[in-house]
Amino acid sequence: MSTDVDLKDPGIQVKKSVCFFCHNNCGMLVYVKDGKVLHVEGDDDYPVNNGGLCSRGNVNQIFLDHPDRLNYPLKRAGKRGEGKWERVTWEQALDEIAARLTQIKEEFGAEALATAGGTQRTDDWARRRFMNLYGSPNGFHNAHLCWIPTFMVETAIYGWCPFEIDMGNSRCLVLWGQNPAASVLPEMSQISNFKKNGLKLIVIDPRFTESAAKADLWLPLRPGSDSALALAWLNVIIWEGLYDSAFIENCCVGFDELAKHVQQYTPEWAAPLTWLDPEQIRLGARMYATNKPGNIQWGTAVDQIGRPGGATMHARALLRAVTGNLDAPGSDLLTGPAQDFMTDEEMEANDWLPEEQKAKQLGSDKFKLITWEGYGKIAAITREVWGKAPTAEWMCEAHPPTVFNAMITGEPYPVKAIITLASNPINSYGQTSQVIEALRKVDFHVSVEYWMTPTAALADYVLPTACTLERPTITSTYGCSDFLLASQRAIPPMYERRTDYDFWRGLALRMGQDEMWPWENLEEANYYRIYPLGYPVSSYDEFVENYRFHFPEREYYKYGRLGFATPSRRVELVSSTLAELGYPSMPSYVGPAENEIDDPELAEKYPLVMTSVGGFMPYHHSEHFQIKELRFLRHAPRVEINPETAAKLGIQQGDWVWVETRRGRIKQQAELTQAIHPRVVTTERGWWYPERGVVEPDLGGCLESNPNVLTSVADEHCDPLSGTWANRGLLCRVYKVDGKDGQ
Amino acid sequence: MARYAIVLDTRRCIGCHSCTVACRVNNNLPVDMIYNPVTTVGPTGIFPDVHMVHIPLLCMHCANPPCVECCPTGASQQREDGIVWVDEDKCVGCKACVMACPYGARIPNHETGIVQKCDFCMDRVLVGKEPFCVKTCHQRARIFGDLDDKTSEVYKLVNREPVTRLLPELGTEPHAFYILD
Repeated sequence: MSTDVDLKDPGIQVKKSVCFFCHNNCGMLVYVKDGKVLHVEGDDDYPVNNGGLCSRGNVNQIFLDHPDRLNYPLKRAGKRGEGKWERVTWEQALDEIAARLTQIKEEFGAEALATAGGTQRTDDWARRRFMNLYGSPNGFHNAHLCWIPTFMVETAIYGWCPFEIDMGNSRCLVLWGQNPAASVLPEMSQISNFKKNGLKLIVIDPRFTESAAKADLWLPLRPGSDSALALAWLNVIIWEGLYDSAFIENCCVGFDELAKHVQQYTPEWAAPLTWLDPEQIRLGARMYATNKPGNIQWGTAVDQIGRPGGATMHARALLRAVTGNLDAPGSDLLTGPAQDFMTDEEMEANDWLPEEQKAKQLGSDKFKLITWEGYGKIAAITREVWGKAPTAEWMCEAHPPTVFNAMITGEPYPVKAIITLASNPINSYGQTSQVIEALRKVDFHVSVEYWMTPTAALADYVLPTACTLERPTITSTYGCSDFLLASQRAIPPMYERRTDYDFWRGLALRMGQDEMWPWENLEEANYYRIYPLGYPVSSYDEFVENYRFHFPEREYYKYGRLGFATPSRRVELVSSTLAELGYPSMPSYVGPAENEIDDPELAEKYPLVMTSVGGFMPYHHSEHFQIKELRFLRHAPRVEINPETAAKLGIQQGDWVWVETRRGRIKQQAELTQAIHPRVVTTERGWWYPERGVVEPDLGGCLESNPNVLTSVADEHCDPLSGTWANRGLLCRVYKVDGKDGQ
Repeated sequence: MARYAIVLDTRRCIGCHSCTVACRVNNNLPVDMIYNPVTTVGPTGIFPDVHMVHIPLLCMHCANPPCVECCPTGASQQREDGIVWVDEDKCVGCKACVMACPYGARIPNHETGIVQKCDFCMDRVLVGKEPFCVKTCHQRARIFGDLDDKTSEVYKLVNREPVTRLLPELGTEPHAFYILD
């Protein structure tokens, strides 16, 4: 018998909630009786998922009251990482944390406080608001590895990031380093629908992914060599005359200069760099340019290739421009920010952060695009044209490795405290040795968490936070979409959990920020945000129950009315904004972070190319390893190896193998597969083993299978524009774990 | 009278296992029991000329179910609407049906000793809802409905698309229909 609930039971309420295990935020109906969740299922009326839920979505009820969830505030009672805790009240915890942060600000300045956020399990405008009022510019996420560099490069060139793809009217979709069949399931469903009507699908990915298996053309390039491919596509499109001359004439500047610049980047030039055939490269470029309108969907891959990242995003962005695939029906749409509700940015109180504090943002002297200088410049222009700016959380953040380094060395100034929220930097940030050293060394660490992660285990206070069923959620694509979807709390937080909003407000009230936090809870704040929409509702919950979404009417070709939000008000094929920041105004080839051509000696010692898989089912980032209803699908991490390579190395299916780079080694289980090139191996990210217990020195095996151990965050390996580092396209070697080889 | 059937569209299936988890979680199955695994075939071929297909499995709700025929206690039953199910009160756990089922769809419950199986989420279907595995499928790769209803999607797919059944030579007449590429 299934556990289906009797909907006729008069005591049952149906709450309109949302899953927050990934960015899709699929709608859910939650059946609640007497404050208890009885059943969760996909909401048929929710436009994202139309009733569907992935494997993770199906464990929401299990996540809610899993025995390993954190339920009470904890204060460290033993040595750091020893696993000894004392249960305290929220009031005691907040009093003590506020006192400590006040003292740190007095002694070292507000910039001595950093904070690391997670992936949309938090209301980050509240975090930014607190940090701005406190005076620190040193908040960050893994923004650098996820969309944000792409967003800002594209905004520099054409005034907004065209992330809204009008796929229903499109004839060709390019998935560039994205595998929606394992990460964005609603999108994949749409792709299948439109493929039936003739949509061409091009997948650019070193792996034969679930999505590549459905493609019309799969381009398995050498990991990290994307800039060569993008430049060669520009070459083909321009020099074979496949560009949109009317769009270029009317809307762009710098075409002649660009044409001349990319003349050198022929498919024959790109072939040995990408390991693709010149004809394959041509085929892809022609397919995209001649099946108009078309889309290039963003994928995380290019944000995670380090040094060549910025140039690659830049070249890829220009492909849309030269083909005229911008803001036209079926193309990639420049929606601009929401005009009719309060955006995240408007809630952040960015004006309150003094200029001298902005200037102290760590990493901003080296990586200017997504720190205050670049963001400030770009935001000023979008304000002129659109009236609003992109979210500063995400789009304008301290450079995480620079912050961790400051925690260790005190250079360029000391960072004495960090607040981590729904984030496990030990597993999710680059060069783990640096992260773990910083977290062991930092004077004061507060973690607001769902689980006792390896990172939380090193904290001084661990505060339990409310999950998606216990909090209201507004979904608006990191605060940058022109629409919103609203969801409500299914039940009040269980045990002594609180939302992160309550955490920040609790601190703020103790630190003299009272007047800036008029909203007693998140529903009040959300009501303030949606109020300008003008719906006849008297509360946020009423909006959710009666309306739930707000989609403004779609307007194509907005540039005809507004121009593009760039200094010239045109698409800048030669970018003045990037030039002003000291970066190349046109993209040139930059090789993968580590590669056999620039460094043949290294390649001799480390002959294989390692890449990390982005999303893979059933996990998300470093989450969900505790949940046996998911773990049974994938109990151990897998490294994919081509059988030909495995045979040479004496590796069989299921063997534990070491993957080693110059930085260190990790072990994962060999999965022999023809999905990848014989010279490439793919590791799975995020892995740790909560079942081992999370105490020093093992901390849940957080170093054992974690690909970030293999990465480098040295400035010279990072992308000069954004500071992103590489977990893809690194040189490695692989060998079998020996019985005597130690753990 | 209805005749329930399911269509599994492998052109749309991506091997995400949402159906497997939805079934397990909502039917409260122990962690070693799976009614509806998804099998991935491939990548076959040699890189980069490769192919991959995902085959979702479940009880085929056969018209001629060997599991019903062999059951000594009458616990295994077939309803008039085609749903094959187990009356758990009558099952003695002899596992004759486990041996008889050519599709591996009979799953012994090691906690209770009885044998269980997919019953198309019968209690949901009887109140007009879809099985959990169908409801949860983002990809619409699982289509459930009444084969006797000419307006139903399953009827249209079974009659218009090139569908195939598993092990048709056994004469079991499965009511799970596969659309292959």
